[in-house]
Amino acid sequence: MAEEIKAHITGVVFQITTKPGDAVAAGDPVIVLESMKMEIPVEAPRAGTVKEIRVAEGQTVQEGDTVAVID
Amino acid sequence: MAMKDLVDDLAARRSRARAMGGEDAVAKQRAAGKLTARERVDLLFDAGTFTEFGIHATHAGIAPDLAGRETPADGMITGVGRIDGRLASVIAYDFTVMAGSMGRTAELKGNRAREIALTKRMPMIWLIDSAGARIQEAIGSRNFAATGLLFREESIMSGVIPQVAAMMGPGAAGTAYIPALSDFVPMVRGTSNMALGGPPLVKAVVGEDITAEELGGSKVHCEISGCADLEVADDRECLAAIREYLSYFPSANTDAPPVSACSDPVDRRAEELLTIVPDSARRAYDVKKVIRAVVDDGRMFEIKPGWAKNIVTALARLNGHPVGVVANQPQVLGGALDNDAADKAARFIMLCDAFNVPLVFLQDVPGFMVGSKVERAGIIRHGAKMLYAVSEATVPKLTVVLRKAYGAGYYVMCGRAYEPDVIVAWPTAEISVMGPEGGTNIVFRREIAAAADPAAERARRVEDFRKLINPYIAAGAALIDDVIDPRETRAVLVRGLEMAKRKRIDRPWRKHGVVPV
Repeated sequence: MAEEIKAHITGVVFQITTKPGDAVAAGDPVIVLESMKMEIPVEAPRAGTVKEIRVAEGQTVQEGDTVAVID
Repeated sequence: MAMKDLVDDLAARRSRARAMGGEDAVAKQRAAGKLTARERVDLLFDAGTFTEFGIHATHAGIAPDLAGRETPADGMITGVGRIDGRLASVIAYDFTVMAGSMGRTAELKGNRAREIALTKRMPMIWLIDSAGARIQEAIGSRNFAATGLLFREESIMSGVIPQVAAMMGPGAAGTAYIPALSDFVPMVRGTSNMALGGPPLVKAVVGEDITAEELGGSKVHCEISGCADLEVADDRECLAAIREYLSYFPSANTDAPPVSACSDPVDRRAEELLTIVPDSARRAYDVKKVIRAVVDDGRMFEIKPGWAKNIVTALARLNGHPVGVVANQPQVLGGALDNDAADKAARFIMLCDAFNVPLVFLQDVPGFMVGSKVERAGIIRHGAKMLYAVSEATVPKLTVVLRKAYGAGYYVMCGRAYEPDVIVAWPTAEISVMGPEGGTNIVFRREIAAAADPAAERARRVEDFRKLINPYIAAGAALIDDVIDPRETRAVLVRGLEMAKRKRIDRPWRKHGVVPV
């Protein structure tokens, strides 16, 4: 079942560390945000496969925005 | 009757009461994955130390549908026993008797147990597994108007004796305020829940269809609402957690916390601390590794580990002496403080200060969160709670700046102005009104914009800024006591604690402050 991964903090997308098709474990960073001058990973809530990345590097995201989808 | 017959009658009465709500009800309790109230009390206390009061209690005889029936111990086991040799008073709700509902006799038993705890200065422990008030005995204002004593008393006992309310089953309506006013609330996963209004009331009043677990299960309160302190797997783990929690506290606020034997060398150097902070100030690490490396035997007892994870609050020991550790967690939200983190830390600081448990602050904080979301949620008043709590605390306070000590984050984490008895920094420390990047962008905005190569100019200015905030600047001005090798942290804290042991600070008289909430 697909699950949306949401940003838990407002920030700028610093790095996209996975791509569609990648397998991730629970707690693996899917993308990294920059906020409060810190690199803050957005982690997979459970194990799965990355289905979609919905943001681009440099893009500003708000807390609660969907940044990726895992299957 | 002869005494022998009277004694046999007494034994039969005791035996009936110990059978609780009967075989079927006890079987149901076990099938639900729960221990009985009596088994719980036995496991809570050191073997053979429980003295029960009120075993012959039964309902008040005012509800017509209870006529001719008994409610063994009136659905509540009360008495005193020892935990690690020290006395504590218990109120254990027995769900096998009318769903652990609180009747009038049980209320009197509870009053008695609380009075014993308060007047004899011992911890009060509630084991909650109750449907709430026994409506049959509470209906009508003649009965209801006199009740509520419990919550007033609990408020008055707060900070005098430790209060623990374990959720080991349901705790709806008024019962949910027992944990709300307690110091420590463990919740058993899957079998416990608490809500001001249970599912049927919620359905009737606001039309929401929801299960008790979704409404107020352990996940909700340990990870979202912050109303509970620790999620535990089952009853046994819950009772062990209560015993461990209380091992860090004195029996009352007039005593010192108990000291344990310590075999961990006080001058043990923690080699792993040399490489724990990443070279890049933008990278995170797990501050719990620092705590474990420093405290006795790497052992810590976290309070609210699943909620506001950007700050860690944990009980631990240094050379056998209990301490409360408050540490920013760079791994979550970069360690930035938000509303929940400030609430969590403020409450923990008040808890430790109330019971003479010294505080250790490990700073790595980029500041308080900014932005419209947190402002609308009132981060100013939430942050104020932490300022207030750290200012009020008169227990020994030891501060170690691991890395960032930015802005008000430095203040609330017991910066120099907040009466730390020792304040030291690792060589990686940066004590500053704000971080180098943010500061440079504001102070040198014009110079950067006017430069031929703005990026290079910014980088040069950031480096200059960094030189102004390294720990030798604060140490050179004697504003911190020392810059230390991270490996020495344990020894520095143990010595600081010894030095501060007889600390005494008198505050001006007041009835009480106006606490930010």
